[in-house]
Amino acid sequence: MYGNWLVLPILFPILGGLMATQIHTLHVRRLVVSTILILQMLIVLPVVFYDATPYVALELAGVRIVLQGDPLGRLFSTLICIIWFAVAFFAYEYMNHEGHRERFFGFYLMTLGGLMGVCYAGNLATLYMFYELMTLCSFPLVLHIGTRKAFEAAWRYLAFSVAGAGLGLFGLFILQDYCVTDLFTPGGVLDLSLAQQNQELLLAVFLIMAIGFGCKAGMFPLHAWLPIAHPVAPAPASAVLSGLITKMGVLALIRVAYYLYGWEFLDGSWAQKAVLTLSLITILMGSTLALREDTLKKRLAYSTVSQVSYVIFGLMLFTPGALEGAVFQAIFHAIAKNALFMATGAIIYKTHLTQVSQMRGVGTAYGISMWCFTLASLSLVGIPPTGGFLSKWILAQGALQANEGAFTYVGIAILMVSALLTAGYLLPIVTNAFFPGADFDRSNIVKQQDTWLMWITLTMLTAAVVILGMFPGIIEPAIQAVVDPLFP
Amino acid sequence: MSKNLELLVFLPMVCAPFSYWIGRAWKRGRDVFVQAVVILELLLVITILAEEATFVRWEGFCGLGIGFASGSFHSVMAFLTASGWLAATILSQEYFAHVKHRNRYYLFWLVTLGATMGVFLSADLYTTFIFFELMSFTSYVAVVQTEEPAALKAGDTYLAVAVIGGLVTLSGLFLLYYQLGTLQLSQLAQAAAQAPNRSLLWTGGLLTLVGFAAKAGAFPLHIWLPTAHPAAPAPASAVLSGVITKTGIYGVAVLSTTLFLHDSTCGTVLAVLGAITMVLGAVLAVCSIDLKRTLACSSISQIGFILVGLSMQCLLGHHNALAVAGTILHIVNHSLIKMVLFPAAGVIHLSTHSFDLNKIQGFGRGKPFLAVIMGIPMLSLAGLPLLNGYVSKTLLHESIVEYIAVAGQWSWLVTGLEWLFLFSGGLTLAYMLKLFICIFVEAPPTADKWRKHNYIASASAVTLLIYAITMPVLGIQPNDIMDGIASFARDFFHGEAPAHPVAYFSMINLKGAAISLLIGMILYLTVVRGLLMKQGGERQYWDPIPAWCNLEYGLYRPLLLFAAEVLLVTAAFVDRIGFRLLFRGLPAVCMKGYRWLLDRRGRLIWLLTGEEYVPRPSLEQVVDDPHFGVYADHPQAERGVLHSFAFGLILTGLGLVFAILFIFLH
Repeated sequence: MYGNWLVLPILFPILGGLMATQIHTLHVRRLVVSTILILQMLIVLPVVFYDATPYVALELAGVRIVLQGDPLGRLFSTLICIIWFAVAFFAYEYMNHEGHRERFFGFYLMTLGGLMGVCYAGNLATLYMFYELMTLCSFPLVLHIGTRKAFEAAWRYLAFSVAGAGLGLFGLFILQDYCVTDLFTPGGVLDLSLAQQNQELLLAVFLIMAIGFGCKAGMFPLHAWLPIAHPVAPAPASAVLSGLITKMGVLALIRVAYYLYGWEFLDGSWAQKAVLTLSLITILMGSTLALREDTLKKRLAYSTVSQVSYVIFGLMLFTPGALEGAVFQAIFHAIAKNALFMATGAIIYKTHLTQVSQMRGVGTAYGISMWCFTLASLSLVGIPPTGGFLSKWILAQGALQANEGAFTYVGIAILMVSALLTAGYLLPIVTNAFFPGADFDRSNIVKQQDTWLMWITLTMLTAAVVILGMFPGIIEPAIQAVVDPLFP
Repeated sequence: MSKNLELLVFLPMVCAPFSYWIGRAWKRGRDVFVQAVVILELLLVITILAEEATFVRWEGFCGLGIGFASGSFHSVMAFLTASGWLAATILSQEYFAHVKHRNRYYLFWLVTLGATMGVFLSADLYTTFIFFELMSFTSYVAVVQTEEPAALKAGDTYLAVAVIGGLVTLSGLFLLYYQLGTLQLSQLAQAAAQAPNRSLLWTGGLLTLVGFAAKAGAFPLHIWLPTAHPAAPAPASAVLSGVITKTGIYGVAVLSTTLFLHDSTCGTVLAVLGAITMVLGAVLAVCSIDLKRTLACSSISQIGFILVGLSMQCLLGHHNALAVAGTILHIVNHSLIKMVLFPAAGVIHLSTHSFDLNKIQGFGRGKPFLAVIMGIPMLSLAGLPLLNGYVSKTLLHESIVEYIAVAGQWSWLVTGLEWLFLFSGGLTLAYMLKLFICIFVEAPPTADKWRKHNYIASASAVTLLIYAITMPVLGIQPNDIMDGIASFARDFFHGEAPAHPVAYFSMINLKGAAISLLIGMILYLTVVRGLLMKQGGERQYWDPIPAWCNLEYGLYRPLLLFAAEVLLVTAAFVDRIGFRLLFRGLPAVCMKGYRWLLDRRGRLIWLLTGEEYVPRPSLEQVVDDPHFGVYADHPQAERGVLHSFAFGLILTGLGLVFAILFIFLH
């Protein structure tokens, strides 16, 4: 397949978003946004089945804008398109109680274009460009409600993201002199003889890039934007921010580690150990802080901090099993976290309760949302037969194969402690919501009719977590296609 | 008909949502539907009992694929599960006649049935674990069904033990699978024998053991039993005690018969755990003054007996025929006995609304039927000859005696174990006598206001009677049926066949039981009647164990909270470091420098120019703007600047300048 097809999935949602900002009728806008998202899935469809050859879209002063569709990019882009569509449905209803819906849906679609660009980027310069586009387009989503707090949060989000991407760009400047080509190639593109002489420099650069791209993925030390941006953003925005946009940091990190450096260059180095340590610190820190957080969305944000670092831990172990586990974890976390935010959003939308301590008894009135919340929570904890269990199993087996000495065992121990903490911060919400106690006056809870727009895609995502957990054979070939070329 | 195996597991799970939907419109229909499903389940189990052992595997399910096996111990446990569930379902109909949330209860009731079946039929540890976790979570609903504060608290404990135990077991399974490359029960023993790294194998095995032991109720993770059983509705506590604790035993048995087959170290570990559990549970039961709590502690004690049996099965190596038979039969017997006692306690609760021995005292006077159906299992558990409990206890006792002969220099320790065993048997009789005499002999504290008749529904009465009659039937001719069950289930434990049929009613065996019963009588007369009853105006039972002397509230909860607190402080510290440095530290440093310069401004200018510096705004400005000069030193404005995005932009700009400089110089 020709690579120039890839321009379409990137430009189409951006143009569509621009168009959506001009539509002021509710039903027409819903129709147009749905059509754009469905067409987007159709446009991505050929890419799902065929590799797209690298396509040089632009060449500016020595910087090439290259698009390519390889297994990694197409896996993430498919996931993104489906979840984006699901969340849009939820947003139709949810955004009813927020103003400026044109702006929201416009930027919502444009952000999708940015994400597609990150997925299909063929070199780091292109990736950086779309990465920044994604940040800028999602900025108004965080800002949406326009309160003082939202401004602060949005600026912080922008500052952290720009700083993180800047670190990535800094890495690119140095790295380009040691590469034989700028294209992402499985196994790395380092000029090995040159790289060996400057090993320490390159490793330091890797660490800087990992911290920079780790910012989007919520990795310590640049994680602080997540717990601030999530509570103020509207629920659909938090959902995609937490579930998908954080994964773009992971994607960038995979690109750098596996497609530019090559894992063999990094394996066993101090930089690898440093990133592993950072990811383990983040895992433990995130789930511990979530334990005492009373604002539900903030609790989920800390949970994201912790869960996305599982992915970073897995992919930095440099074994096929661990990478597979990491990709599984990325997928299942994306689906489950979106479901969690949507369920939370549905309850907030109906009851205006935002604190965990107020959630007592909500399960009795909002059964569907709370059930989805429960199943998604179990997936995050890692209880079979949900997807989270599967990804944890594969990740741990990969970690044991990696034989990184202390890192393997400490890592698994931290995964387990974090799972326990995850159970500690999610399950009490569930038990409190469903079993408020015999003395609880159920008429306290405002019961409103759930509208189907709210829960239809929510239940579908939740079902996906469970069904894909039970039958991972459905997505395993796609993940194998990513992992196999990297470990010949 | 190998299809039946998956059907057994998934049929109740698939039917569960239907029961919910039916129940929303038609309660009677739901009750009938649930009963029909459980009866169908029992029929299916009978078909697999009649058939040859089979094996089913679903490749790729949940990643590794799951497998089910029938025959041997699997089938015996499946039968116990299905029959127990049927009995409890019949009892539920009476017990729950006027209770809220029955739909929810039955939904999870059926899912738990399927999951429990899945555990007992599992052919590899991966399958065991998956269904074990599912069962733990769905049975939580049964524990908190009443939503009373005590039930919610007990539910928290139950869930915490389940989650912690499950995660520890999972990490054990990680290690085992990594080491052995398989979790199939049929291949585990061989793979374990060839494993090069023994210490890793041991770590894996012991970690895996934790979750199963917790579910079984072994010390020191027995804490969920004494709170969860009294809190749950009676039919649910019946299956919790009779069936669900046995899933833990199943897990322990899988490890002790495959991974650590005939391993004496594993045997020693289990013997120590078993002995502590056995004595501790019995002591707690003697002290307790709550009917259901006594029964729950009795369950802990009996699980200890079973663990001792499993340890003997390991220690005796190839001569473990008696130990294996004793273990299997005690599992079966304990399940049967608790399936009667818990519902009977529920019957008492329906009339009296209490489990407190001081309040239900004398309830059973003039109720011979209740006395029979409660008396038989109580005496059976105490090990009275001619009842089934005697058979399994005799076998376990004989296996310990057998090990004394081969233990060599450690024989004095094993003799100690034997005496602990007999002592616990005595305690069993003591607490059962305490219950029986309290309920059926002593006079009620106040005027008897309870109903003499119609205190039990006929369907429940028949079910309990069938169970109660089974016990003497099994016990009178032990060589016929009980030995048959033992030999049917023996293959699973890799047990040897006994050289000759056991003479259960020989003098030596009767002597063991007699010693135990004698100890029990003495203990009852001295300890229970002498010490545990308050003499005074009224004779009342009292619990000598102080409230603080409680593993859960005295140790585990404070310890966990402390650990969480330490983690939290550390995490909060780590979390704020980077943030503080960037947004507080850097501005603060800049501010300090600025202040420092400001303070020395006049002096600096004087040094440079030799003139006094007088900050003086021009006249026009002062006239134009009355606030001029106020803004400049306003602290709020300074912080605003440094907190604003502008500061971030400045940083970014600086970064870009450096980047461009770098490019130019490179």
